[in-house]
Amino acid sequence: MCSRSGSRVPRVGVTSCWSCSLSPVDELQAIVAGDTAAFGRWVARAEPRLRASLRSFAAQVDTEAVVQETLLRVWNVAPRFEPDGGPDGLTRLAVRIARNLAVSELRRARVEPVEVDRLEREAEALAEPGTPPDPLLRELIAACVERLPGKPRVAILQRIHARGNASDASLAEAAGMKLNTFLQNVRRARIGLERCLEAGGAVWGDA
Amino acid sequence: MNRHTRDLVEQALSAWRPRRRGAVGGHPAWHDLDADGRRLVFEETERLRAMEAALDPNGLSSTGHTVLARIRGR
Repeated sequence: MCSRSGSRVPRVGVTSCWSCSLSPVDELQAIVAGDTAAFGRWVARAEPRLRASLRSFAAQVDTEAVVQETLLRVWNVAPRFEPDGGPDGLTRLAVRIARNLAVSELRRARVEPVEVDRLEREAEALAEPGTPPDPLLRELIAACVERLPGKPRVAILQRIHARGNASDASLAEAAGMKLNTFLQNVRRARIGLERCLEAGGAVWGDA
Repeated sequence: MNRHTRDLVEQALSAWRPRRRGAVGGHPAWHDLDADGRRLVFEETERLRAMEAALDPNGLSSTGHTVLARIRGR
């Protein structure tokens, strides 16, 4: 769902600046005007909270798909969004859209209505603001990536550089590995990174 | 956890998702996992996306990048 994309023509005066610091009102206006960089800045802040709000659905709904579909829908409805004056209005809207999508998936999968209600109530309790990332984390992660052995490093970097736009089968082929070898190397890299980060004192997400 | 399940988890951790009738669909590997495997995917995805975002100069995870690529028509 990305109907706003193809027909969208950037307006004169619409900036596209990743490092710009805008007030929440200006940022929302920029998003409404079609500024994808402004939307990207909002996505970077909103994604952890959005994902965390779906935790109770994790065993029954592919939350990665729900998060992506939600962000695309927010982009499409942003021009019609009316702030209620409260903080993080667009993020609260995203959390509602995500929850509705997850509930729709549960109903499609014929999950018992009582169970759907229970998961929805749990999700309600989880929709708290996230914490900002540790500013030193990037440096530590980059150092840990460098310390990974060859093939695991190649595999995890293929994944990161693909940015979700290629299947593992095509990434494995590009890396000259069989799919199961590629997946084993990604796993080794992930475990190696987590150990390295823990040794470096990194604190993850809500940990 | 056996090797097959580990491979399914690893695939489901990717931000790549199929498109179904214009919407983002579930990953085939995720559908093959049991409830424990799916919860593990959720926990590991949270950590992985935080790592990707921390590494990215604009703070975007692979989820954010794939969504932006989509709305930019790439």
